[in-house]
Amino acid sequence: MPAPHPSPSATPPRSARGVTSHANKILLLVSSLATLVVLGWAALEENLLRDWRVIQRNYAAALPPDAKASFNPQLRQIIVPALRTTDRCVTCHLGMAPGEQVVPGQRLFAAHPPIPHDPGEFGCVVCHGGQGLASETADAHGTVPHWPEPLVPRRYAQAGCGSCHTHLRVPNLEQLRLGQALLERYDCLACHAVDGRGGTLRPGGAAGLPAPDLTLVGARGYDPGWYAGHLRSHAAAAAGPWRTSFRPIPDDERGALAAFLDSRVGAPQLIEAKALFHSLGCRGCHKVGGVGGDDGPDLTIAGQRDPGQTSFAGVPGERSLAHWFAEHFRNPSAVVAGSQMPAMGLSEEEIDALVLFTFSLRRSPFPEAYWPRDRIRSERFGEREFATDGATLYGTFCAACHGRSGEGMRYPGMTPFPAIANPDFLALASDEFLTAAITRGRPGRRMPAWGVGEGGLRPAEIATLVNWLRKSSGVQPERDPRPPRWVRGERSEGERLYRAACSGCHGPAGEGAEGPALANPVFLSTASDTYLVETIARGRRGTTMEGFTRPSPTRRALASYEIHTIVAFIRTWEAKP
Amino acid sequence: MSARSSDDGLARLWANLRAAPRRLRETMFRSGPPVSDRARSSFIFGNVFLHLHPARVHRWSLRWATTWGLGMIALSAFLVTLVTGVLLMFYYKPYPDVAYESIKNIHFVVPTGRFMRNIHRWAAHVMVIAVLAHMARVFFTAAYRRPREFNWLIGMGLLVTTLGLSFSGYLLPWDQLAYWAITIGANIAQSPREITDALGITASFDPGGLQKLLLLGSDEVGEEALIRFYLFHVMLLPLILVALLAVHFWRIRKDGGLARPADAEARLGPPHPATYPVFTEAPQKTYHLAAVVRGRTPAVGNGPEGTVPAMPHLLYGELALFMLTVGICLVLSVLFDAPLKELANPAVPENPAKAPWYFLGLQELVSFSAFMGGIGIPTMVLIGLGLIPYLDREEAGTGEWFGGPGGGALVGRAAVFGLTTAVALEALAIHFGWLRQWWPEVPQLLITAFNPGTVLTAIYAAYSLWLVRRHNSTRAGALGLFTCFLAGFVVLTVIGTYFRGPNWEFYWSPTHWPGH
Repeated sequence: MPAPHPSPSATPPRSARGVTSHANKILLLVSSLATLVVLGWAALEENLLRDWRVIQRNYAAALPPDAKASFNPQLRQIIVPALRTTDRCVTCHLGMAPGEQVVPGQRLFAAHPPIPHDPGEFGCVVCHGGQGLASETADAHGTVPHWPEPLVPRRYAQAGCGSCHTHLRVPNLEQLRLGQALLERYDCLACHAVDGRGGTLRPGGAAGLPAPDLTLVGARGYDPGWYAGHLRSHAAAAAGPWRTSFRPIPDDERGALAAFLDSRVGAPQLIEAKALFHSLGCRGCHKVGGVGGDDGPDLTIAGQRDPGQTSFAGVPGERSLAHWFAEHFRNPSAVVAGSQMPAMGLSEEEIDALVLFTFSLRRSPFPEAYWPRDRIRSERFGEREFATDGATLYGTFCAACHGRSGEGMRYPGMTPFPAIANPDFLALASDEFLTAAITRGRPGRRMPAWGVGEGGLRPAEIATLVNWLRKSSGVQPERDPRPPRWVRGERSEGERLYRAACSGCHGPAGEGAEGPALANPVFLSTASDTYLVETIARGRRGTTMEGFTRPSPTRRALASYEIHTIVAFIRTWEAKP
Repeated sequence: MSARSSDDGLARLWANLRAAPRRLRETMFRSGPPVSDRARSSFIFGNVFLHLHPARVHRWSLRWATTWGLGMIALSAFLVTLVTGVLLMFYYKPYPDVAYESIKNIHFVVPTGRFMRNIHRWAAHVMVIAVLAHMARVFFTAAYRRPREFNWLIGMGLLVTTLGLSFSGYLLPWDQLAYWAITIGANIAQSPREITDALGITASFDPGGLQKLLLLGSDEVGEEALIRFYLFHVMLLPLILVALLAVHFWRIRKDGGLARPADAEARLGPPHPATYPVFTEAPQKTYHLAAVVRGRTPAVGNGPEGTVPAMPHLLYGELALFMLTVGICLVLSVLFDAPLKELANPAVPENPAKAPWYFLGLQELVSFSAFMGGIGIPTMVLIGLGLIPYLDREEAGTGEWFGGPGGGALVGRAAVFGLTTAVALEALAIHFGWLRQWWPEVPQLLITAFNPGTVLTAIYAAYSLWLVRRHNSTRAGALGLFTCFLAGFVVLTVIGTYFRGPNWEFYWSPTHWPGH
């Protein structure tokens, strides 16, 4: 039986006209009034309260009367179709808008600081990031959710050069500092201004022309005959700056000066930061533009990191990319869970420079017509973006693991990295052995292969590195008249000795622990018997590898035939794949 | 020609000129000023736009509690989206990347562009909500019954078209949100592959792939998909919607106005004296003749006493609802900007990629079985909804909220049952996993047939059959089933919206998502 249901309208009867219609009228009145109010507010907001309108009113108020009359409040934009640029930044930054006046004393309405480019030609976002299409402050600065490219902070502004100038050829820090020191020592700054310093004297006397400003000399080029000219003027002058502020410069120092001048492209902070990057050996693990190791992420466009795709879980404090980068350099594994990157023990200045450099890794995909010379020379003509002298190569690719001067490195939680500048090692290792070790690496270990197809170094550059190792250490390889393989010995005896004396450091199967891995195919195929025998016999001074022909408190000395058996045993690993 | 007659001519011209505004008014509104009930009635049926209304409308239909104005709100929201949508079309460019830029320009540069886009977006959501609520209202007041069965089907068509309109508009901004939501949607279209893959016949028979191809015009969401969705959004679906609307409204009148209880007169009591007497003049209402002949109009035997002129009673109500809807959309638009994420990037998937909110319940089901969640269960639900008016041939409770055997109490119990079952099944699946986690080798077809979605559907169906038996009434079963599905829809949508994170894992809050 169906359940009885209560009547839904047990309320007292209401007349249609008497109540409902009246209520409808009130609802209509109220909703219409509310709509009108909202529309009025929207009109007010649209026409008076927009950020840019307020800013342009302030600007107009600060203008002199005649300019104020002709000022037209409207959106302003820089459009570069080839770069797909539509930058409305100049709507508020009016001092940088083509054809508008600068208002002195107000940062927002200031002119753009002098740079080699006309901002009207490229727009703003190309260098500074942010959202050019926007007309509201927070949106334009890109510090809003869902905008992948926030403004590069002002203090790192030179990182913006990295959008196009991805291939500035920069030496390591030491070389850069040397060039700078020479510039000071030879008193070039007396007459020439560089990066805003110096240039107080006029070589031709007070009435003469000022000496050329060298700030952009690396980009603009200079007279290759400058030195001869300076010498002549020096010889001809009886007094004044030509006589007192100039003196002859030796050839090699002139070379270091030239390298420094080549790096004067108007972005000294960026150059300094890149030089630091080329001194810390970061590219031992990270590729940039196809050259570098594979252990870490490719950094070619690391500066284009999207904050929205970035985890700030391990980054206390400010939620900005700059802060994330800095925290990451302080303690990588705290910021990126599972990161293999060791804490590098960097100073705050170094961290700041690296943050700038990371921001500069942008390499925007512009049409080739917009590429600067350095990028064309590199990507079309094969020039390097790093200086290719031995010291810079070592600083760029090797220093992080093998130490800034080859002393080896120990990072917490990692097997130690070998000291490749060790004189005992360099005396026994032939150039071919070193070249092969660099080119083919140590498969299965952290040492990558650096050949063209892998790490991306060219044979000439690897040869430069080997030469630099020899030159900087001063150790030449000993002559070895024997063939690469000459050892004969009882393997089982060698195995017993290896277990007793070697496996503690090199691992029971030669897989390496405290000491390097011996069961490495590339190592075994390139190390000669002499190298192995002599290394065991003499040891490596300054490391835990002792010479085994001398007794120690814990064991007796090994005879040479015993060493041979060990080498014979080590060689048995070679057969295995 | 004499001077006097030419004076006459000028005088006539002057007089006609002075009379022109009055005559314009008279010719526009043929029935004279709407000062009496009769003139107002003439005004209604003499006007092409207003004659969709009856000249007189029953007082029962004017009670707020009869409809809560939901249909009118849905129509108003549609009109708002129509106007703002046409305005947006002036600036929108349907091509990848350029589309995103044009939305940015609409947002930042076009005068009131941001406001218009916000209104369009929020009005679209209001429309979806209003259409769903309207459907629930019609169901719970049993207004789908004879003779309104077919209009219920038209209404279902309108629901599907509304969802289609909203979904096709979702892609147009070409941002990450749009791109990945549409990718999800397209994969749902492709979900019959779950069956064909399991049977190993996808290579020869691939309806899922064909569906996706028809939707996207390509394998992936790209320029073909964008132009397609644009055409759906601004042309095909609005035309379909307008055509269905016309039929829908026409059928309301032809089916005898809004459903009301047989004893509506008695419940309302005597009309206000001011609305009476009705027939002070000769009746002009002849259009109900067909209904009179069929003998189903409540006017037969009752007399038209329960009716009042549509103007002003109905018109004020409609205008008020329209302005209310406009007001709500405007307030939302001032308070909240329509979302716009990063430029669409096929290389960086959104994780989680979520469909529009009204499909998140489906997406939740899709996470159990793509075919069942995307095609199977929705099809079953649509067929079930369409069958309801043809299975429920009862009379009791028509026009009353929760009318029918069991009434509000049954609906309340069904709601509790539906919510509890859905939450319990979800909790089970979230906490303990499902077949694939227990026996990794289990055949996919088994999961397709037996997953939380199908289990929930089966439980609801069984509950409904039990109600039919217990109350000896189809209506009781329908009430229970509809309420359960509504509850399930709410539970699944809430879980999909708020509790699903990356890889569609369960999280209590987005703050617990990894990487945030």
